[in-house]
Amino acid sequence: MTKLRNILQPYVFIFPSALIMIVFSIYPIVWVFKYMFFEYFGYGTPKYIGLYNFERLWRDADFWASLKNTMVFTFGKLILTLPLALVIAVILNTKLRGRNFLRIMYFMPTVISIAVMSVVFYIIFNSYNGILNQYLMKFKIISENIAWLGPNHAMLSVILVATWGAIGNYMLLLLAGLQGIPNDVYESAEIDGANAVRKFWYITVPMLGPVLQIVMMLAIITSLKGYEGIMVLTEGGPAGTTNVMYLYLFKLLFPISPGGPAAQEIGYGSAVGFAIAVIVGIITLIYFYASKKLGQIDE
Amino acid sequence: MRFLSKAIVLALVFVLLVACASNDNNSGNQNTGSQSQQGNNSVSSGSGEKTKITYWTHERGRAQFLQDTVDRYNETNTDNIEVELTILSDNFAQAIDIAYSSGQSPDVYNVRSSQIGPLSQLIARDYLEPLDDYLTQEHLDRHGSMIVEGINAYEGKIYTLPNFGNSIRLIYNVDLLEKAGYSEPPTTLDEMVEMAKKITEVGKADGVYGFALPYKSANSALRRSAHAVVTLSGYERSGYDFKTGQYDFSGYYDVVQAFRQMWEDGSTLPGSESLDIDPLRAQFAEGKIGMYFSTDVEPGVFHNQFPTDINWAASIVPTKDGERNGVSLLDGGVWYGISKQSENKEAAWKFLDYMYSKQVLMESQEIAGWLSVVPEIVAEAKVPDIPGTEYFMAGKYDGIWPLPPADVIPEGRNFEQEFVDYIIVGGDLDEIIERLNERYNAALERADVHVEPDPDFDPSQLQGE
Repeated sequence: MTKLRNILQPYVFIFPSALIMIVFSIYPIVWVFKYMFFEYFGYGTPKYIGLYNFERLWRDADFWASLKNTMVFTFGKLILTLPLALVIAVILNTKLRGRNFLRIMYFMPTVISIAVMSVVFYIIFNSYNGILNQYLMKFKIISENIAWLGPNHAMLSVILVATWGAIGNYMLLLLAGLQGIPNDVYESAEIDGANAVRKFWYITVPMLGPVLQIVMMLAIITSLKGYEGIMVLTEGGPAGTTNVMYLYLFKLLFPISPGGPAAQEIGYGSAVGFAIAVIVGIITLIYFYASKKLGQIDE
Repeated sequence: MRFLSKAIVLALVFVLLVACASNDNNSGNQNTGSQSQQGNNSVSSGSGEKTKITYWTHERGRAQFLQDTVDRYNETNTDNIEVELTILSDNFAQAIDIAYSSGQSPDVYNVRSSQIGPLSQLIARDYLEPLDDYLTQEHLDRHGSMIVEGINAYEGKIYTLPNFGNSIRLIYNVDLLEKAGYSEPPTTLDEMVEMAKKITEVGKADGVYGFALPYKSANSALRRSAHAVVTLSGYERSGYDFKTGQYDFSGYYDVVQAFRQMWEDGSTLPGSESLDIDPLRAQFAEGKIGMYFSTDVEPGVFHNQFPTDINWAASIVPTKDGERNGVSLLDGGVWYGISKQSENKEAAWKFLDYMYSKQVLMESQEIAGWLSVVPEIVAEAKVPDIPGTEYFMAGKYDGIWPLPPADVIPEGRNFEQEFVDYIIVGGDLDEIIERLNERYNAALERADVHVEPDPDFDPSQLQGE
């Protein structure tokens, strides 16, 4: 009896999460696998069209443009977020006065709704009466309003908003990693005469390797999948300049059209969703392979 | 242990398969509109108990009027019917879909296509009950001339009756026009471009610009502007040419080019590319915009939402050369329908009969401020008491167009998005129009719908007396 209970126990524990996983993850995936071979607009009978959706995807210039936009967005966000998060984490790991308050302040954007955040940034960025332009004009830095959400600067603006929202989160993870580095390593380096910069390069960064590897992977995946803020701020415009992959997919499956419902492209959207999952998967694998060394701490 | 593991894995797979299978069954029921899936929302009860009718709409701006109208019906009807009004502010279409899939659709609901899709799609989903068996001669006399196939009727059966329509106008700031030296609004597109330029020159130092549209959403921007200009010029708004039975977007050339010119001239409010309609209205109410296009909801907006002291007016939209070869489209023309899932269709019709009575139709213009398209009501009802409404009353050059073929879904961006992208970043408009024609005609072919070219189609015949 006890033996049977021991055997059953882990399965009983696993069952609720397995059920949720099946209903909310595995079943939708099976569903997508089915519909990517169909033409289906959410009503009527789905029409089997074989691989046509993939053929369409191949020549869909908007999809490839969205892939390019995603790469620019991801690269821009990472190049700003990670170094800043690391520098802030290192500073806040010292015995700085008021560090707890600063940690809370930096982490705050992570808990604010992305939609609310984006609306606030719209008030800052908009070109006709935005706060940013008003200040730049006041200090005579610019002589004419800049269209921060116009075709030339919209990508930069959405990257800045995303960076602002992400720094606190990665700072926290890196801070946890920093606190795991034994203090005696620093002390012995100090005895050997290492200055702060050398300690950072030769102790902090290598010792943070495993944490950095995970943080960077999370940052890459989150950036590739990020679209919510962009949806509120620009809806992917103007002229598709901020239309990233997941926003493109979202609009296919759930058309956002104040002028009325556009066609819900469930079949093609499933094919696009599958392709995007493959792309994100490949990028993650490449990253893992390339960053193998980062995960090892040399003894 | 190994056996147990296998058994559990098999059980999980079984659960998955059952989930898939049961969903397939459900979707089948959804499409057939099976009446076995009835919910508890509308329960016909035994004698003595009231028959409950659920009624859903998205018309939150007229919530008080609708509630008062329903309350009066509940108090006065002698059929022991009680109507429960639900006003859903957002995601009306999704709410309706979910209600149908769970067998809990409302008995009566708003079937406006801009909210829940074209009538053809509602029929394809088996959502609506035809009204032909219920309609009396009185209804046919009152509404008959306004029944349009594809909008109110489908394949000869009537599903909803018209009530009101949204007219579109060019809205302008009278003082800004006068300051720039103009006493009249533009009647041609060239005049509009010129005026916008002049207004900007005169007012730019004070942050005043000649023109604006909410380009953040291409659909929102062009639906309230270019659609009206092309239809008044004699072209169908979706690009369909009734004469040839093909799509041809060349009717959009002049208006899109005019918008592009105003963008290039710097006469368009900076930031319009990321503007929604409400911030635009706020700027107009502040006296910062010379002209923009919108529908007859604007008087209410400037009366309640953004009260303003500016001297504004509205005029019929300009065309290329001032010629009016068609009618500026009246958006709407439908109101309520009865769900095919309803268990109380007779009672639902009795309520609908009340909503379409002359009294309620008159009140919906005089009190609620909807502008009626029903001839009898147009002739007799008073103009609503909201300043500016008079500019939007449907006239000779406003009308409901016949519908183009349903379910033509082109691959890629829609024409509104293509045009707005051109307005903002430029390009080759001829090439864009050629590409649109190819894509839309390919979609028409793929949709496999029967189209009959009508070489005698004359859009000027749509004009009123």
